Amino acid sequence: MTNSKSGLAPRWVLYALLCIFWWGVWGFLAKLGSDLMAPLQLQVLFTMGMIPVALIVLVRAGMKIQTDKLGAIYGILNGVLTGLGLLAYYSAMGRQKAAIVGPVTSLFPLITIALAFLFLRERVNRVQAAGIVLALIAAVIFSK
Amino acid sequence: MDNWLFYTSIAIACWGAVGLLQKLGTNRISSQSLLCWVSIGFLILVPFLLQGTTILNISVQGLLIGLTGGLANGLGSWFLFRSLESGAKASVAIPMTALYPLLTVLLALIFLGERLTPLEWVGVLAALISGVLLSYEKEDQLNAAEVARSAKTHATK
Repeated sequence: MTNSKSGLAPRWVLYALLCIFWWGVWGFLAKLGSDLMAPLQLQVLFTMGMIPVALIVLVRAGMKIQTDKLGAIYGILNGVLTGLGLLAYYSAMGRQKAAIVGPVTSLFPLITIALAFLFLRERVNRVQAAGIVLALIAAVIFSK
Repeated sequence: MDNWLFYTSIAIACWGAVGLLQKLGTNRISSQSLLCWVSIGFLILVPFLLQGTTILNISVQGLLIGLTGGLANGLGSWFLFRSLESGAKASVAIPMTALYPLLTVLLALIFLGERLTPLEWVGVLAALISGVLLSYEKEDQLNAAEVARSAKTHATK
């Protein structure tokens, strides 16, 4: 494990903060876009916008993609479902405040935990259990 | 149920399933390769989307917002990836990056003038903290996945 320091914080902290920054900005832009155009249109532009990043990843991987059949199927399904989720996200953003839709949609690991419990026999740890309680509180508040 | 909540639930269901696919996928291929296949999944959707719409009538402002949104999302994923590559513990970095909606909230309050009622604030804070807690996986859980993956890789060699 490398712990290269860049000034004040380890490099990974800097990268994690940049991740938060760009994802946070993405949520804000999703709101601006949803107020301006239809979810289908926004998703087309969104896909075009992320192509440069996908290309960088491809180049860094030496232009080689591992072609394990099941791995590829999981990946493609992942992309399709993410896209469908985004369409719903934009629809929600067009109807409600970004300050609410952003945090509430970030509860999605709840479903991952449930699925991983059912299909992968993964245990729910205590921290996650506390998260589930808070998610339920948020759900009750917003479903009123 | 309000309309927005219906759509939010669909997004949560889709992305929740994506989380599982990500676990299954990275058990078989590298996260770089997975990201490439995910992008192909995105591209596959485009022709279907274009059957129901056109992007020819979108204003320049709209184009910029949409394209930058895609870029921002891609860069976010990229930096999470780089963070993990640079020695971040997944059990720390992933819950940390789950804080991203906090920035969306701040931007919406500052630039869009959105205001929340006290009850909405409670809900938003509960959701924000919950998002962080839910994405916490113990290091040994993550290591178990790692071991399972390398065992599989060796088995196929």
